[in-house]
Amino acid sequence: MASHGIPRYTVQERSEEARQQELRKIENYQELDRLVQQKVAAHEYTPETLQSISELLSKNPEYYTVWNYRRRALQNEFSRASAAGESAVGEITTLIKDDLQFLIPLLRKFPKCYWIWNYRLWLLDEAKRRLPVSVSRRLWEEELALVGKMLSLDSRNFHGWGYRRFVVESLEKLTTDEMRSGSMAQSEFDYAKKMIGTNLSNFSAWHYRTKLIQRLLNERSASDEERKKMLDDELNLIHRALCDPYDQSLWFYHQNLMCTFDPTISEQTMAPNLSDSERLDYLRGEMEEIQDMLDGAEDCKYVYQALIECTLLISKVEGRLSNADQQKVLSWLSELKKLDPLRYGRWLDFERSLSQ
Amino acid sequence: MSLVSGPGRAVGAQHDQQLCIQKHVEYIKNLDSRRDELEYWLTEHLRLNGVYWGLTALHLLGCPQALPREDTIDFVLSCQKDNGGFGAAPGHDAHMLYTVSAVQILVTLDAVDELEKRGLGGKAKVGSFIANLQDKETGSFMGDEWGELDTRFLYGAFNALSLLGLLHLVDVPKAVAYLQKCENLDGAYGIRPGTESHAGQVFTCVAALAIAGRLDLVNKDRLGGWLSERQLETGGFNGRPEKLEDACYSWWVGSSLAIIDRLHWIDGSKLAAYILRCQDPEAGGFGDRPGNMVDVFHTHFAIAGLSLLNHGSIKEVDPVYCMPKTVTTKYLSK
Repeated sequence: MASHGIPRYTVQERSEEARQQELRKIENYQELDRLVQQKVAAHEYTPETLQSISELLSKNPEYYTVWNYRRRALQNEFSRASAAGESAVGEITTLIKDDLQFLIPLLRKFPKCYWIWNYRLWLLDEAKRRLPVSVSRRLWEEELALVGKMLSLDSRNFHGWGYRRFVVESLEKLTTDEMRSGSMAQSEFDYAKKMIGTNLSNFSAWHYRTKLIQRLLNERSASDEERKKMLDDELNLIHRALCDPYDQSLWFYHQNLMCTFDPTISEQTMAPNLSDSERLDYLRGEMEEIQDMLDGAEDCKYVYQALIECTLLISKVEGRLSNADQQKVLSWLSELKKLDPLRYGRWLDFERSLSQ
Repeated sequence: MSLVSGPGRAVGAQHDQQLCIQKHVEYIKNLDSRRDELEYWLTEHLRLNGVYWGLTALHLLGCPQALPREDTIDFVLSCQKDNGGFGAAPGHDAHMLYTVSAVQILVTLDAVDELEKRGLGGKAKVGSFIANLQDKETGSFMGDEWGELDTRFLYGAFNALSLLGLLHLVDVPKAVAYLQKCENLDGAYGIRPGTESHAGQVFTCVAALAIAGRLDLVNKDRLGGWLSERQLETGGFNGRPEKLEDACYSWWVGSSLAIIDRLHWIDGSKLAAYILRCQDPEAGGFGDRPGNMVDVFHTHFAIAGLSLLNHGSIKEVDPVYCMPKTVTTKYLSK
């Protein structure tokens, strides 16, 4: 969309030679552009036209209109192949495979270009529409491997994670008769776990984990006991991870887990049916854990935030904030005002809300 | 008349903390004079967005006349396609992103009536192009006929249709229900239901809810907490936890905080100082981070961010529409 992370360079007057060179490049580019426009306007979807389109997209993959030309050219090819009768599946498969292959070097060079990924999804959707499940499933399986590779290179890539969800959703629908269930919740849960193992502060992976836990439990029609067991495991995991209490990603996952004890939103969480006394037990246990974290991390604002959050949740379950708890909240708040001057206004608002 | 959208050539150190208004005005005005650079042609797909970014920045800088009005209108109209939508440049396919920019530019120039006089089928045709991109089942919006889904498109549709007085053409309650599905437990929003929270998507969802009059659905304290955590020690904002700061998030995060009345939850003067460090004080324009290449996208969002903070003489921006407040006030009361 715009230039990111490119250092500003010192302007140098372009030499006349460099200027002429650039003008020639512009001329070549415009000539190629004109040629493609002409061919498309005349509906001349020949292999030569497709070649020119490829050339233009390799020079400028952001030129979204040309990706649309490519779609129309391919659709034309698909219709031609479909008319061929018996060999249709083979021909369409080859067309799609070749095109997926054409995109690989472009994706390597421009991994953040939306249009390439959009086009790729369209192509794979065409496979879904036009080919037998067994064939298109194989293409989508290869895609899962590709997106895995991409996320291992850039583990927070927002589009990469979104793309992975599309691929998984498609694979879950592309089931053959011998498969019992299409759900990939377990294998994706394992994937998220692996990604967290590689880098604990990968919030994208923690987020994915939150969503997958819900799915896993629902698909198993898990009992309340099983749900509690899962919750216990997650709490243990996050407590171990929080040996680095300065990592914001971990605290956001912690906050997600605390929603389980909030009677007003617990239905969106993994253990929606806890009793009030269970909630209070959990929250008190949580307070102890977090209080221990303070030891050696007295300057860590997240710890105070979590203590306040848990105390307020206790008061929400109990229906009142005791005087003693209010005093504690106020003392943590005064730490926050010192430790977190950037958000001073937030803490001031909170202080006012307490005295109301 | 059109503006190059790609990286500019720029020099200069960045210890100057004053906003170099005149430099930025010159930088934007000169974007169209760079046709001898390959970059100008490679960024044609951003041209209409570029005009919106440049024009809005110039308005906020107090130089609304800096671009030739008639040429700008002519250029916008030359981007319209038979289906009523607009492409990035003449000959480019219609897409939501450019159609929204076209409407925003025409509104800013007080030239919407040109659609009736010279456009293809008047504003009704533009409205129907946008409305046809709504998925009747889910309420979400696609970018074009090829089907990409993103809350950016839903916001764009609400933005343009409400400016044209045509919001009734779409199913607003269904779209609102869709936005709610994009909300996460942290109070923030993702690009589609179930996806990770992202400050850019928070802006699109919250601003769309503001246009729909449904800010009551936003968990303001929780979202405000998440948004305020985007500010880093440098003063700049990042877009997600544990990511680097970037001047354009000054807008995505700042406007969202402003819409939910929580802008005072961050340190405004530190943010302003960070934004100013991203400017090129010699050649004009802003980059994503101090010392980096400038471009009109970051220039626009950096200036809009400073406007949210009432910095200096910058004119007031509308946090929902990202347009001059005087313009939207006038239009929306029509």
